[in-house]
Amino acid sequence: MSVWLIALLVALVATVQIRSQAEVERSLVGIDTTSLAFLIDDLHRANDSLQSEAADLQAHEATLRSGTSGAADQVLSDEADHLRAIEGLVPVHGPGVVIVIDATGLGALDLQDAINNLGAGGAEAIAVNDHRVVTGVAIEQTGTGVAIDGMVATPPWTITAIGDANRLAEVADLMTKALSADRRVRQATYRVEADVAIKAVVSARPFVYAVDS
Amino acid sequence: MSRRQLLSLVAVAAVALVMGFVVAGQVKAQLLTPSNQVARYEVLVRSVQELETTNAESRRRIATLRAEIDALESAASGRSAATQALQNQVADLRAHAGLTAVHGPGVEVDLANGVPGPAAGGQASYLVNYQDVQDIVNLLFAQGAEGVAVNGRRITPLTAYSGSAGEVLIDQGLPQSSPLKVVAVGDRNRMVAALDDASALPDIRARQVQFQLRMTFFGNPDVALPAYDSSLQIPDVHAT
Repeated sequence: MSVWLIALLVALVATVQIRSQAEVERSLVGIDTTSLAFLIDDLHRANDSLQSEAADLQAHEATLRSGTSGAADQVLSDEADHLRAIEGLVPVHGPGVVIVIDATGLGALDLQDAINNLGAGGAEAIAVNDHRVVTGVAIEQTGTGVAIDGMVATPPWTITAIGDANRLAEVADLMTKALSADRRVRQATYRVEADVAIKAVVSARPFVYAVDS
Repeated sequence: MSRRQLLSLVAVAAVALVMGFVVAGQVKAQLLTPSNQVARYEVLVRSVQELETTNAESRRRIATLRAEIDALESAASGRSAATQALQNQVADLRAHAGLTAVHGPGVEVDLANGVPGPAAGGQASYLVNYQDVQDIVNLLFAQGAEGVAVNGRRITPLTAYSGSAGEVLIDQGLPQSSPLKVVAVGDRNRMVAALDDASALPDIRARQVQFQLRMTFFGNPDVALPAYDSSLQIPDVHAT
């Protein structure tokens, strides 16, 4: 009798255990909780940024609807200045980091990765060795080294990034630590500055193929 | 009851006691925890779903506001030549920033996950990752692309890519995963030739062989790119 009772209890515990485990595994298909937590963090940041953009656009719309003299000119002028800074057409300054990478053998993909890491970490304007870099500027491997927009950027690379200095410092810290472990890198350092200047600009290129829809 | 029987009973009781502690520990650690894990997981999933809904609504709102602003500016430019000149400048800047839908000749690149294989190079090497997208987009821009979109998401001068294995995050958009389509407007012959170059995109080509990662591309006489629908804020940048 006792043996049957124990066997029954064991079977009950095992069944509950297996069902609970199966439920977890079914729910966890495709993505783990850590990735979900990172995704939530990314989405929060993205949504904050989107809501801030929407608020700015609403303010612009209200100014235009006010119909006051010169309102449209002011909104257009402000937007033109804003877009020129985004597209790298004018010199800019602001808080940020300066990263210096002294290395032999790093290629275009390494530089593209570094720039993308800074962009993902909140960089709003970037220059490498006094060459302005925005997405769309060609960074290519050539026979004489890495060329930015057709001009070879000879190491050491000095990467200047403007943006939220705290976020950029975290990215720069991780980047320089990883680079320091790379045999090709002699030295990788960074410094945070309250105001860095980027004087280099991108040349405007008119569209040849693209037409407004 | 003999002394031997008494000792046997004590031994059985001790073993039963130990077993009881072990079972209780097991129940606490492995029976209750999974149910907590399920609840925690469901909360996380609900959070992601709510945030994704908010994200989509915000991007729709931004697109609507930009269209309304454009209409108001057009109306104002009809009343002043100076405003008209300013609006033309802004229209050109917006087009280059990816804020305008465009079309023209170009290429379409399709990228899809391969199949799991030997773990060389990491277990997720058969999955499309954000570096693949970054490499393709950079290659197309280097060949003169005038505009690029990934799964309908327009690339801008501020675009950055991130994500984990099999998941690609572009700017403030929702995560994208295989299959991915990169569309570019520009000189299609030049872009197709670059994509065809055996020395280009070395990592993708190696994984095509090793994991059957799929990449196909073709020139198209007319492809369309949507306008960017997210934020282009640069609060820390000031013009000199």
